[in-house]
Amino acid sequence: MRQTRARELDTLNELFYVGTIGLFLGALFSAIGSKKAESAKVSLALSVVSCMSLLAFSAITLYYNEAISIPLYSIIPSLQFSFFIDRLAAFFILIISIVSLSVSIYSSGYIEHYKSTAKKNSLTSLMLVFILSMVLVVSSKNMFSFLFFWELMALSSFILVMFEYEKKETRKAGLFYFVMTQLSTVFLLLAFILIYNTTGSFEIAKMQLSASGISSIAFILLFLGFGIKAGIIPFHKWLPYAHPASPSNISALMSGIMIKVAIYGMMRFILFVLTPQLSWGIIIFTAGVISAILGVIYALKEHDIKRLLAYHSIENIGIILIGLGLYIIFSAYNLPELAMLGLIGALFHTMNHALFKSLLFTTAGSVVNATETKNIEEMGGLIKKMPYTAALFFIGAVSISALPPFNGFVSELMIFQALLSSSALANPLLEIFLIAGLAIFALTSALAAACFVKAFGITFLAVPRSHEAEKAKEASLPEILGSGILALSCVVLGVFSFQIFSLVGYSALIPNLFVVGALLAGFYAFAFAVMHAFASGNTRTGETWGCGILSQNPKMEYTASGFSEPIVTIFKSIYRTKKQNDRFYFDISQSVFRQGNAEIRLMKFFEERLYMPVARIAEFLSIKASEMQKSGLDAYIAYSFITIVALLILAGLSA
Amino acid sequence: MSASFIEYGILNIIFAVFVSPLFISMIKKVKALAQGRRGPSILQAYYNTFKLLKKETVYSTNSSWVMRTTPYVNMAVMCVAALFVPMILMPAPVSSIGNIILFLYLLALAKFFMALSGLDAGSTFGGMGSSREMTLSAIIEPVIIVVFAALAFAMKTTNMIEMFLGILKSGALFSNPVLILVSISLFIIIIVESARIPVDNPETHLELTMVHEAMILEQSGKNLAMMEWSHAIKQMLLMGILINILFPVGIATELTLAGIAVSALIFILKASVLSAIIGLFESSIAKSRLFHLPDLFMIAMFFSLATILIEVFA
Repeated sequence: MRQTRARELDTLNELFYVGTIGLFLGALFSAIGSKKAESAKVSLALSVVSCMSLLAFSAITLYYNEAISIPLYSIIPSLQFSFFIDRLAAFFILIISIVSLSVSIYSSGYIEHYKSTAKKNSLTSLMLVFILSMVLVVSSKNMFSFLFFWELMALSSFILVMFEYEKKETRKAGLFYFVMTQLSTVFLLLAFILIYNTTGSFEIAKMQLSASGISSIAFILLFLGFGIKAGIIPFHKWLPYAHPASPSNISALMSGIMIKVAIYGMMRFILFVLTPQLSWGIIIFTAGVISAILGVIYALKEHDIKRLLAYHSIENIGIILIGLGLYIIFSAYNLPELAMLGLIGALFHTMNHALFKSLLFTTAGSVVNATETKNIEEMGGLIKKMPYTAALFFIGAVSISALPPFNGFVSELMIFQALLSSSALANPLLEIFLIAGLAIFALTSALAAACFVKAFGITFLAVPRSHEAEKAKEASLPEILGSGILALSCVVLGVFSFQIFSLVGYSALIPNLFVVGALLAGFYAFAFAVMHAFASGNTRTGETWGCGILSQNPKMEYTASGFSEPIVTIFKSIYRTKKQNDRFYFDISQSVFRQGNAEIRLMKFFEERLYMPVARIAEFLSIKASEMQKSGLDAYIAYSFITIVALLILAGLSA
Repeated sequence: MSASFIEYGILNIIFAVFVSPLFISMIKKVKALAQGRRGPSILQAYYNTFKLLKKETVYSTNSSWVMRTTPYVNMAVMCVAALFVPMILMPAPVSSIGNIILFLYLLALAKFFMALSGLDAGSTFGGMGSSREMTLSAIIEPVIIVVFAALAFAMKTTNMIEMFLGILKSGALFSNPVLILVSISLFIIIIVESARIPVDNPETHLELTMVHEAMILEQSGKNLAMMEWSHAIKQMLLMGILINILFPVGIATELTLAGIAVSALIFILKASVLSAIIGLFESSIAKSRLFHLPDLFMIAMFFSLATILIEVFA
């Protein structure tokens, strides 16, 4: 019995090896064969196989709830790369492998838009390094390999963001991203040193920190470090810069899974290494609510389709944090069932967001390639030119708007359920706090629906608004196939959510959506049959009324700015839009207009009030530091002398 | 799902589908009387539906499958949603039907399709309607959720059918005073969701005032009939929720022919009174500016938050 089990585990290990080594070889292949046109295709095929094997590996680990340890390589005895996969890690590997699988297929069509072979190959090679590093961060057993692969992930994604470096805005985005991602690492490094100092171990499983002042500091450092990478407001600014700048397959990976790796880190270290406190739960919950609502409100104003999606990532990270916060809060009040509902809601939303957001990014990438613009005001009518892409984007839009019976609904339902049951808490003030959060969360999800009516409606429906949109062609087969896998998983995870949760041992959390879906389909068919039998079957097509002008033209369509105008007006205090309108008249009764000027100024609140002041302080300090370096040799000798004296005094004092 | 629930479901859906247009024309009649007109017949909504079913359907050349599927999706959603609101027979609760959030998001699914169909033909009016509808439904959403949270707090369940059962079992009228506060908010939600004055004006086709009508402006023939029909069902379901909370007395609890007939008559009576109240409310108030509506929503928010405060501290 034991032997068979051990053998089974060995096969599992092999699946993991096949996956990681396959990704590594794929990256190597297109890096070495960068001159040959076919290398990228071979690498992507390798990547597809590797992702499949990782998918199988993680699904089995998840199902059997088995923890697997894979020691691999040691540089010096105390610092070694070693890997350990438990259920949490397996869950994230599952997410990474399914998204990477689809994006790899998608990429084999997408990279054809780059003319140069070298570009195709380097994009592929870097992408595989990026995927591999994410898999290995999640499977890391100790802080050393965690940080090593975390940095590899940061660097490879930085180069990928800079991939179209010829454009000026890309260089700005890349720099912004680089600074933020390194800042995140600094916080993590500090937290890890702090934890190591207290526990004396680099092994994640052996690090246990009970409640104390130090653990609170560690929490703040970890929350900042992972929060920057996940894109929590106010550390979110890099997302709307980096996502539009990078190639669309990379945006799909970054938004779909890289920010989820930060969520993994947060769960791993805050829930398992530290001992969570009630106040941390409240902090996480509040950060989640703020990120969710501001993310969607900013998204409503965007007309750049990729930036719009980037803001929605911030919103969804907020929703995940709401679930995580609820877990900690309910745990502190010893309500394990509600706590579990929050945590599973958060985890499931992590998965769902990974799926529908990469679906939206890949389909948006196809659209951007077809129309040569990212501005949705110049699109329109694409549902006829690109019917498959439109249908796939539609599934993504319905899922992200949390509409039943798709997957986004299920995870939001769990979080809603947990919030609605907050009357179980024996703390009136906290209950009211959670209800306020509930109201804002509801607003968020309704605004998300509004935003995706805009995104889908303006992009795909009605008449093309530009010459490019008129000429748009359907995306290539691999692009549709890759996105199609993601869309299919969105539907399956929604409709069969009840069955899936029963399978892994968490039944009775949610209503059976299969019943609801079947009923909807049944009534749809019934209504269709009734109409076919009793109503007039005559149909006619005609032009839309052009308001009395001879024929209708694209200028009469509602625009994206028009669509979001009422919402922008209602929330104008959040956007901090400043409207100025000065008029001058010839006469005193103000009837003959002479001249005037009008100005609408959008304030980039976080950039102007948070990022720039910090940047200015940093700049000021570095100018001061560089002044010290300007002086000659004598000054340097003086510095050394002062340092030695200071060290001597220090040594004397401590002795 | 048990056999008795299936019986309940069939009865409830048939009742909702065939009785719902009645209240649309009833409100119209009350408004006409209040304005000193004779008004249309009480069966006018049925006549309109039959007339539309016989007419040909005209599609815009710009339109796509979104336009064509929306009416069916709306009908299907409303039929499923009708399972959540018992009107003539109170069933035993089941696990897969009844969740409050599921009910609300089913309605949102219908609205999502409707708003997209407004944009599909490429006319200015449709887009305007969609934009306004999505804005209104977004800002009313926190109110709706807090109202239902208040109900969940008061009744200690998130299953609508269990809530209604709980209220019915407690017997006496106004058994739980908190429910009166919730009802005020619910009334405002009915006004908003069924597109009535002061939020929307169901009578006009003037671009300054219309919201819901603008969205379905490009629909015609049988599709328009289905859109209006599903709107009527939605209004009836919302009225049903309010009735089940305030005056649940009279609803049948067992399946007998006589019991169902009496229960149906009682529901029509109660809903007629509610329709009259809605009609009078509409007549006594003017259409307000779009950007003044958040004030109205704040009133609803206040009453439902008051409920929660009472529940929490009591």
